Amino acid sequence: MEAHATHAHGPPLAHQSSRVDSRVLGMFLFIASEIMLFGSFFTAYFFIRVVNHEPWPPSQFHLPIYVAGVNTIILVTSSATVHWALQSIKRGHRAGLQAGLVLTFLMGLTFLLTQIMEYSRVGFAPRDQSFGTIFYCLTGLHGAHVFVGLTLLLFATIRAFRGHFSPEHHHGVEIPGIYWHFVDVMWIVVYATVYLL
Amino acid sequence: MRRGSVVQLVLIGALIGGAVTAAALLIPWLPPSASKERGGIDFVFWFTTGICITIFALVSAVIIYSIMHFRAGPDDDSDGLPIHGHTGLEIVWTAVPVVLVTAISVASAAVLHRNDHVPKRHLTVEVMGQQFAWSFKYDDEGGLSTGMLRLPVNEAVLLKITALDVIHSFWVPEFGQKLDALPGSVNNLVITPNKIGRYPVICTELCGLGHALMRTSAIVMSKGGYEAWVRAQRRALNGPKTGAGKAVFANQGCNSCHTLKAAAATAKVGPDLDKLPAEAKRAGKPLEQFVRESIIDPNAYIEPGYHPNVMPEVYKQLPKDQLDGLVQFLVQSSKGS
Amino acid sequence: MPLFFGIGAGLMVLVRFAEGWHPVWKGVTLTTIELVMVPLGFLSGIGGFDYWLGYAIGQPTKPEDHSGHGAKSWRDYFRVNTDHKVIGVQYLVTTIFFFVAAGLLAMILRAELARPGMQFVDNQTFNGLFSVHASLMIFLFVIPAFAGLGNYVIPLMLGAPDMAFPRLNALSFWLLPIAGIMMLASFLAPGGAFASGWTAYAPLASTHQPMGTIFFQMAVQWAGASSIMTALNFLVTIITMRAPGMTFWRMPLLVWANFTTSLLVVLATPFIAGSQFFNMFDRVLHTHFFDAGAGGYPLGYQHIFWFYSHPAVYIMMLPGFGIVSEVLAVMARKPVFGYRLMALSLMAILVLGFSVWAHHMFVAGVASWLRVPMMVTSMIIAVPTGIKVFSWLATIWEGKLNFSTPMLFALGFLSMFVIGGLSGIYLAAVPIDIHVSDTYFVVAHIHYVLFGGSLFTIFAGIYFWFPKMTGRMYNERLGKLHFWLTFIGFNLTFFPMHWLGIQGMPRRVSDYAPKFANLNMFISIASFGLGISTVVFLYNMITSWARGPLAGANPWRSLTLEWQVSSPPPIFNFDEIPQVVGNPYEYGVPGARHAVFAHERAAELEAAPTR
Ligand code: HEA
Ligand code: HEA
Ligand code: HEC
Ligand code: CUA
Ligand SMILES: [Cu+2]
Repeated sequence: MEAHATHAHGPPLAHQSSRVDSRVLGMFLFIASEIMLFGSFFTAYFFIRVVNHEPWPPSQFHLPIYVAGVNTIILVTSSATVHWALQSIKRGHRAGLQAGLVLTFLMGLTFLLTQIMEYSRVGFAPRDQSFGTIFYCLTGLHGAHVFVGLTLLLFATIRAFRGHFSPEHHHGVEIPGIYWHFVDVMWIVVYATVYLL
Repeated sequence: MRRGSVVQLVLIGALIGGAVTAAALLIPWLPPSASKERGGIDFVFWFTTGICITIFALVSAVIIYSIMHFRAGPDDDSDGLPIHGHTGLEIVWTAVPVVLVTAISVASAAVLHRNDHVPKRHLTVEVMGQQFAWSFKYDDEGGLSTGMLRLPVNEAVLLKITALDVIHSFWVPEFGQKLDALPGSVNNLVITPNKIGRYPVICTELCGLGHALMRTSAIVMSKGGYEAWVRAQRRALNGPKTGAGKAVFANQGCNSCHTLKAAAATAKVGPDLDKLPAEAKRAGKPLEQFVRESIIDPNAYIEPGYHPNVMPEVYKQLPKDQLDGLVQFLVQSSKGS
Repeated sequence: MPLFFGIGAGLMVLVRFAEGWHPVWKGVTLTTIELVMVPLGFLSGIGGFDYWLGYAIGQPTKPEDHSGHGAKSWRDYFRVNTDHKVIGVQYLVTTIFFFVAAGLLAMILRAELARPGMQFVDNQTFNGLFSVHASLMIFLFVIPAFAGLGNYVIPLMLGAPDMAFPRLNALSFWLLPIAGIMMLASFLAPGGAFASGWTAYAPLASTHQPMGTIFFQMAVQWAGASSIMTALNFLVTIITMRAPGMTFWRMPLLVWANFTTSLLVVLATPFIAGSQFFNMFDRVLHTHFFDAGAGGYPLGYQHIFWFYSHPAVYIMMLPGFGIVSEVLAVMARKPVFGYRLMALSLMAILVLGFSVWAHHMFVAGVASWLRVPMMVTSMIIAVPTGIKVFSWLATIWEGKLNFSTPMLFALGFLSMFVIGGLSGIYLAAVPIDIHVSDTYFVVAHIHYVLFGGSLFTIFAGIYFWFPKMTGRMYNERLGKLHFWLTFIGFNLTFFPMHWLGIQGMPRRVSDYAPKFANLNMFISIASFGLGISTVVFLYNMITSWARGPLAGANPWRSLTLEWQVSSPPPIFNFDEIPQVVGNPYEYGVPGARHAVFAHERAAELEAAPTR
């Protein structure tokens, strides 16, 4: 009877019908959706690029390929550090977790600030021809994702310093980490398309 | 399945099929045809209709038969037969639709190919859509420009369709051909009118508040009539002022929106231009200045009861002599009445 | 909310000031920002973010607290609640509200169209009317109504205590009223409601329309975010929370249908988000996505929009297919014919649905190498759909049919959807489409598939699960009256539109040629009758909910799991998770079971003779 009474107050434990953790699965599906969002922006990019037969980028536009290249390296490195943070906590190294998260956060912030600097120096605005439009929208969309990623990392960092994670409970690091990897990979695609291709 | 039930099912199907076929044949579904292209379109239409009637008759026959025969009694709580599937049947109803839709596709593709073909000998007309009027430019006739489409019968025309501001769509139901007018690009459409008459040109793409009013006419003339018209147009443009103004009024499509006795125009989208003097008084301007301003900058004064942004703003681009002629014509004809 | 309004306004002034733009204060930009900030304020105000915020700033998570779960009184339905059953009901009531609103707009539309020329409204308002009508019907009625039914039924059907992410579920519901009110509020915007149709083609919607358009663009983002979140939730729930023994091939077809629909939503909805962002940027940031003069590409909008919106029409139909499969099997007392093929054809429609978008652009001036392949793929969709139609026919064949209201709506769906689907085949044939595109023929197609298809299945679903949701039975006679009024009114209203379209009446016009006057008058009168039929429905729902006879746990004698618990179900659905042992539709198979509960099993073992 005792057992039954407590039962009525909480739900019966749901049957776990898949080996995947639901939160991780949710994040992956969300990322699939995000990829499609980027997809729509890339579609717009290629439409604009194809209908403008002129050389690409149009001659009046110059992009700081090298600065952005360095920025790319920073962002890719931050992927490694967030991975390191996760591995640390899996092995129970709390200091590694904290250092990894702080490093990642700082590198992400550097990336974002560099990006903003680039905007103010690049010499054209979103209203300048369709090239300006699509340049700002693709990099801006990505920048917004970096911002979201940073926010998630910030939460994880706060909780890491409060000591909420353990080798058994580290979804709070793993899930922002997955998102961060996605943001990095997406940047490589954006960089390759907008700057290099 | 019993013999009797098959007979009954077929009977119901035939009844429904017959009724729908009768409806299809007795009601004039398609508008009168006035172009060669419509021939192919009508063929695909009837071909598809035949297939669709068969399918609809089959489906509804089964439903009606089931309603008649498989009704459970009031207190009948029993279950039906546990039939889980039948591979043969499933293959049939996958394969048959595949064949049918392939048939429709092939017929459509063939007709499409024929209708898209541009014959060597053809007339070219540049079609421009703008909020909310059509204009047609005849390259072959020295850039003659009109607001109504006039075409010689039995001659292929290549319409080069484009738009100034937003997307519009050119459609003449009797020709069966339709194509969007896109700003920034030119779309090609072929029409071969084969019946003399006057047909509506309709804008079918939502283009703003005047979309419903964006109409004009396509007039198919005999070959001789068409040539005489072209000559008359050229002459009128160089002739005495009011005559020229009258031609401009007709060509620019003013008559698709306004009433004006002198031009035999009766449309009611915009104000009645026979009452211009009274309207000018209301606006507080001398008649001639008012008319000129209303054409160049329609939003400068809005007649009560009408909307801004309906009358196109493009007439400011009219050549000076045509504009002068038009103003003269309006001033004189409205005073006269 | 005022706080967030302030933050938004401050943000804008700051940015504009920093950039040195003049004027620092600008209506359009302000509106755009406020349409984001005010809803955020509203959501925080009702406590939608409390838990996550607490988590974010590092408060220790409380052990599961169920105070926000389940409804004890009717007031709880107006609060944030994490119980999927409450959320399901909230969804349904909200969407029906918007259905009535959109329907009343259609009534004004029909009143204006009864005679040629202008009577009640001016052109811009008219364009606003059908735009808001369609947008509400699509984004605030059909899509979320299916999400609501799914929300209520799916965890029950799966043997799960709730959805995978209950708080996310609550949030996705609360985005809906925001989106809907935003669309309705656009009538108050200077210049009137958005008036470029629910398709909002660029460059008309991007730069040639008054401010109301921004309300559409933002509302679509909110509604889209809501449906993506719900779809995520469905997918994760279906994948990770099935009861023991519930393999994919033992899931009811409604679950299958929502599974495929959710995949469509997750993959396609971002495209409409993108397209509306582009339109909005073109206005607010003066970008040139669709400005041909500055290197933009107007047709690009249509490609991106239809890449979402064609799959969207299946988002609006597949859950309906699921509902019909449930209803027909139960009411015909027979297993669904060809269960596996039914599930597979859903998947086939899902895949094909992504490859046909250009059939909305046959007259837009796309290359013919795109037109012919897309015609073929559009036609091919008739094959999996046909499999479903014929399998349903085979399901009722030799059954024991009970003609209750859900069954009537299911059969009505079957016949009407076939008409709508077949008119889709006409449209898919390029030469015919060239003639009838953008005419009332398309309007007829829309309503045969959306009203005769989606709406009939929603009605079927509401009547079918009404006893489960409320614990009470609806009035059967009123239900039948509703069906017949709707069925007849619907056909009288929308069938003549085929003729109008072929003869030459374009869509989206307030004024038309005099020769169409009589038929339009007829259609308008019929449509008022159709409107009245909805009153019967609303009356039936409200009175039955309050005073209907008690229904009992399983009035339809169904085998699926949601009927094996009390009506309405206990707060956590199941006191114990059931064990699934067989297929969901084994009607007529002696001794077949879909699922057993431990206590039943114990009783059976008890009764069995000991060895
Ligand atoms: C629920 C929503 C829904 C559904 C399910 C469908 C289903 C289909 N639609 Fe429809 N459609 C819309 C909603 C929907 N549509 C809307 C809202 C618009 C207008 C958008 C706008 O511009 O505002 C539109 C517009 C639209 C167009 C563009 C018209 C134009 O603007 O020019 C086309 C063109 O191809 C089309 C085709 C089809 C086809 C081929 C199907 C197929 O899926 C139908 C398949 C079903 C069947 C065929 C019936 C059952 C099958 C059988 C019984 C088997 C045997 C059949 C044969 C052998 C033929 N639709
Ligand atoms: C689920 C989708 C759905 C539904 C259910 C409906 C329902 C209805 N629709 Fe709509 N419609 C669309 C989706 C839908 N529509 C779409 C996508 C378009 C294209 C828009 C575009 O071009 O962008 C469209 C366009 C459209 C047009 C064409 C506009 C044009 O192109 O100019 C018309 C015209 O008759 C119309 C009419 C109706 C009517 C009379 C109903 C009726 O069925 C409504 C019945 C319901 C009610 C009336 C509400 C409840 C009733 C009461 C509370 C009773 C009291 C009321 C009175 C009797 C006055 N619709
Ligand atoms: C698409 C419809 C349309 C077309 C085409 C059109 N007009 Fe108008 N016109 C209007 C409307 C509506 C008004 C009233 C609102 C306004 O003043 O702008 C108007 C107003 C006017 C007025 C002012 C009358 C008054 O009382 O205010 C004049 C003069 C006029 N039009 C002349 C012309 C001429 C000349 C042409 C052709 C070259 C023409 N219009 C073509 C719709 C049209
Ligand atoms: Cu131009 Cu509609
Ligand atoms: Cu489609």
